[in-house]
Amino acid sequence: MTDIPSWTAVAVSVLLVLVAVAIASWQRLGITREIVVAAVRAFVQLLAVGAVLAWLFAHAGLAGALAWVVAMTVVAANESRRRGHGIPRAYWSALLGIVTGTAATLGVLVLGGVISTSPQVLIPIGGMVVSGSMQAASLTLTSLRRSAIENRPAIEAGLSLGLPATAAFAREMRTAVRTALVPTIDSTRVVGLISLPGTMTGLIIAGVDPLQAIRYQIIVMYMLLAAWAVSALVTARVAQGAMFDDAQRLVPIAA
Amino acid sequence: MERPELFTLEHVSLVVDGRRILDDVDEHLHDGVATAVAGPSGSGKSTLLRLLNRLAEPTSGRVLFRGTDVRDLDVLALRRRAVLVPQRATALTDDAYAEVRVAAPSLDDAAVESLMRRVALDPADIRGRVPSSLSGGELQRLCLARALAVGPEVLLLDEPTSALDPRAGDAVDAVIRSLVADGLAVVLVSHDIVRAGKVADDVRVLHEGRVTARGPAARLDLAHELMSPPHDGHVHDEDDPRTHGETHAVHRHGATAATDPAVDALVDALVDPAVDPVTDPITETTTDRAPGRREQEESP
Repeated sequence: MTDIPSWTAVAVSVLLVLVAVAIASWQRLGITREIVVAAVRAFVQLLAVGAVLAWLFAHAGLAGALAWVVAMTVVAANESRRRGHGIPRAYWSALLGIVTGTAATLGVLVLGGVISTSPQVLIPIGGMVVSGSMQAASLTLTSLRRSAIENRPAIEAGLSLGLPATAAFAREMRTAVRTALVPTIDSTRVVGLISLPGTMTGLIIAGVDPLQAIRYQIIVMYMLLAAWAVSALVTARVAQGAMFDDAQRLVPIAA
Repeated sequence: MERPELFTLEHVSLVVDGRRILDDVDEHLHDGVATAVAGPSGSGKSTLLRLLNRLAEPTSGRVLFRGTDVRDLDVLALRRRAVLVPQRATALTDDAYAEVRVAAPSLDDAAVESLMRRVALDPADIRGRVPSSLSGGELQRLCLARALAVGPEVLLLDEPTSALDPRAGDAVDAVIRSLVADGLAVVLVSHDIVRAGKVADDVRVLHEGRVTARGPAARLDLAHELMSPPHDGHVHDEDDPRTHGETHAVHRHGATAATDPAVDALVDALVDPAVDPVTDPITETTTDRAPGRREQEESP
């Protein structure tokens, strides 16, 4: 296969940090300390993640890998909820969206025999799916929140005609899900043209034949499309349920 | 002639964040007439209108629609029987015909056009137009047609003309009058008490969440009332036992009570001769809206 850098090689790469530090102090940018802190943090975090993954791959098995994915969804939902500040039950909307998006996508891949169930595969792939689902949930909540505040007069005009909340809010729901899907559609469309995506890049560096590497990449792109779509839709539906009360009223959304 | 009661507000108060928006409002609104709720901005009049279709909920007290607590009615059915047209005319679609069908999708073109004519819009002018490209007055009338499409028993109009120039406002007022003449009940809210008095049969003056005057529009010099401090013309039943009988006399007779001597007494009690309504138009005392600016935005 290929040559994986030794620790000596890593030590040599520290020279590159010094280049950045030298530029910062020479130009008096006032960010020398930040560069050093960031470089040290990256080192420590990656060391920790590497150690944890090594342990998981050796000992976790399928149950441990799934537990790891579940933990990631909880952390991701907590990130997304901030985008829905002011929306009631924003955390649950994001969590349900991310969990459903992740479960549906991984489920199809595993049951279809597309990917193996070993922790080496489930954990990194799960990470990609959770991360994509999280971004979809965040964009959905951002859009719902903005339109609930900006379009309140139009939404209430619809409600005042006796339309149920699902009809009075339909345009905003469509906008939210569409907005959430734009980034992944864009990146799917231009994949390979603007940048070589991570999965493929990693496999190629590891010595895999490019024509084999792209197979994995195609699966990853399609998987992310599904994850984003499911997560956005479920997040929007759950949030909509929380944004209207029993009397079909749009609840106050804090600006 | 006695009109059946449409809406009854029983000691309704509404408090938001410690602020009393409506304070013990006890009112009877009647069927088949136009009732105006007039008052300066911040008096709680829009909130009062939203209580009638349950877009808002009172903190205490009850709202009845034809004798039934609105909370006991199916809320979607209530909102189709009592359609509220919001203050700012807002298009919900990209096509004038679709706009009328928003809440009545089964209407055919002929029915849509008949509704357009009812609000003095010419279907030939409107066909194929994007509603947001209509003038403010046309869009407001299209919103009225959209409301009529669901077959309401009463229209709740929030400041139907405040965003319009006087001519467009007159056209909307004429449409409202013709709808009332056809038997439709209307409850409208306005900061412009002179204009409200011209459109409505019956007027309530709201000041800081309390009804400070009520009676037939023809007999109340409401401009005076609005500009007087609330304690001046205060006729609230609890605070002024002297007028207790008179206010109820007005209720019983509704719009036709103009010749009742009790009403004359009420009017006398209301009017503050020190204030001249002509030299101090009500519209200039309200500052929360910029009608000119909005008109500009909504015109093509």
